[in-house]
Amino acid sequence: MKRVLQTLAALAVLAGLAGGAVVGLGLYNVSARVGHLQGVSWVLHTTFRNSVRLRAARPAEMPDLSDPALIELGARHYDTACRSCHAAPGEAQSATMAAMVPAPPPIGQAVQGWKPYQLHWIVANGIKMSGMPPWPAQREDDVWPVVAFLSSVQQGMEGADYGTLTRLPDEEAPLAYCLGCHGDGGLAQVPPLNGQGAAYLEMALQAYRGGTRASGIMAQAAREVPPETMGDLARWFAAQPVAPIPPQDMPADLVERGRALVHADTGDPDVPACRACHGPDRSERSAFFPNLAGLPAPYLRTQLGLWRDGRRGGGPQAGLMRKAARHLDDSDIAALVAYYASLPAETGQ
Amino acid sequence: MTTRLKQTDGQRKLRDVEIVMKTSMAGKSRRPISAEPGRPRARLAPLVALALLAGCDGRQSVLAPAGADARVLDSLFWVMLTGAVILWLLVNGLFFYVMRINRGAMSRRFADGLIIGGGVIFPTVVLGALLAWGLSIMPDQRAPGEGLTLRVTGEQWWWRVEYWPEGADTPIVAANEIRLPAGQRSEILLNAGRVIHSFWIPALGGKMDMFPGRETRMSLKPERAGNWRGQCAEFCGASHALMAFEVVAMPPDDFDSWLQAQAAPATPPGDAAAQRGARIFAREGCGACHAVRGTEARGAVGPDLTHVGSRLSLGAGTLGTTLEDFETWIAHTGAIKPEVEMPGYDHLTTADLADLAQYLKGLE
Repeated sequence: MKRVLQTLAALAVLAGLAGGAVVGLGLYNVSARVGHLQGVSWVLHTTFRNSVRLRAARPAEMPDLSDPALIELGARHYDTACRSCHAAPGEAQSATMAAMVPAPPPIGQAVQGWKPYQLHWIVANGIKMSGMPPWPAQREDDVWPVVAFLSSVQQGMEGADYGTLTRLPDEEAPLAYCLGCHGDGGLAQVPPLNGQGAAYLEMALQAYRGGTRASGIMAQAAREVPPETMGDLARWFAAQPVAPIPPQDMPADLVERGRALVHADTGDPDVPACRACHGPDRSERSAFFPNLAGLPAPYLRTQLGLWRDGRRGGGPQAGLMRKAARHLDDSDIAALVAYYASLPAETGQ
Repeated sequence: MTTRLKQTDGQRKLRDVEIVMKTSMAGKSRRPISAEPGRPRARLAPLVALALLAGCDGRQSVLAPAGADARVLDSLFWVMLTGAVILWLLVNGLFFYVMRINRGAMSRRFADGLIIGGGVIFPTVVLGALLAWGLSIMPDQRAPGEGLTLRVTGEQWWWRVEYWPEGADTPIVAANEIRLPAGQRSEILLNAGRVIHSFWIPALGGKMDMFPGRETRMSLKPERAGNWRGQCAEFCGASHALMAFEVVAMPPDDFDSWLQAQAAPATPPGDAAAQRGARIFAREGCGACHAVRGTEARGAVGPDLTHVGSRLSLGAGTLGTTLEDFETWIAHTGAIKPEVEMPGYDHLTTADLADLAQYLKGLE
């Protein structure tokens, strides 16, 4: 018995020395050209698939993944953030990407066999040691547009459709890039910017870039534009006339309740009068508070929810809104969204 | 060995105490029980006594009654205290008598008499009488008002106050201060916002709890004009200790003209600084939570500020009302009052804060 234990101890010491030598002396060949030993790729890939299946939980509710605005936003984000590795639908990967170990699968192939919530998990979490990064923000609800796009790819989106979806308007860079999502009244979750003041817009861009306002999509976008152009971009948008978008159709009773809350007509001690900072019709206007009139309802709903849950950041005044929103309940949010969405948009300056 | 040593030690201490007691009882020595002269305890004693006595004459003391209800409670307190002292002396005197003066056996008859008389009949009569008296004065604390009704709501951590003069159909809204006509009984209806609070003005009367969703009532009758302090008396969150209010009882005529002034809309800002302050107030969205009647500020989340410049405290009895207090409060609310609903406006420039303070201080 004693001899067995001695042998085991000696083996353990030897194994430790061998492991130390591999790390310390660089004995393991990390060359991607050499690749993995027979079978290792299979083990890693199978582990990945099973790990995702174990961890991705079906959420209680999902957004409508067939919403064209959601698909377009996802496609446009994919175009700048993901395309370089996974290629566009129907497009051949670059030779360099195809040579990666493991090689990122072309998108048409990558999405096969996954359910939407599993795709959501993969995009939100990334895959360790594969080069697939996690979502670059402490927030996961804004992953859904990408999932909506990936679902369209699963259903056989063609290269031509992708080209139409991600085409940039005829403007100079980087403005054309911004207008892709924010032009023409925005994209449901994306607000048009021409109703806002320049100071607010620049502050928001800086907050996205610095990470104080969380959004995986805008974190990517804010780094696509050179920092020195942010001020000019903000001023350009602020100077644009408000797009003549027809006011959104909202249930009349909700709109009326929202109006009463916004104007503090209810005496509800939980809801500060939004109008004092966000309009409509206020005598003084802070350059750092956004106008809410006419913004897309889905964007308003998401942002109010984030504020209420304490997950929305922004500039130095973000603390004001975090306090203001903390006692909102779902019905308050629905009413406020309906009211502001029903208003015609205000001008920026 | 050790045990024995300890015993001797203990015996010696007992003997010391006995000696001290004997000497002090004989009135020959004014030394405290602790034999060593100049011990800190001995020097602290007068200070402690002074501090305790000062508490009896403050603006927030049940022992300095200034209201009809507080006076009843005060007499209840003194009667109870005097009774308790007398009973304590009687019981301990009896002990002393049977253990030191008359140690011999007592007759069965005397013992039975003592137990039944002193242990059953006497307490029943005394407690019964006290209970009857106590119950009889309880309704006085809730006597109906004589015209004015106040509706006070406990919020975290401040007081929403509405004055309803007799026959009024809209209230006159104020906050964090209770003003009452002296010599009249005013009705006070109590409510609470999110959690339970308790409304207490020790100098004027008893306290009454405030519950979310259930109205309670009390009434107060200040005997004379004066200024006191009230305090939330039920733990209600992080800043419970900073939830106080000023209480002012005024001669009825003064009160009426004060109330009339409170009912008026805000005075427009006077000088240039105050006008700038008014614009900053609107620009920074203060009106989302605060109402300033006569302006577009209509918020109902925080205190009505229409006449904030004439109040005696800021932050519900937390700060004074100098311009500097206004600036400090606006910029650092959370540091002064932990977890307060109002966000700190520390992003404002010093000049903006000064203008804002000027405007608010001018809202008299």
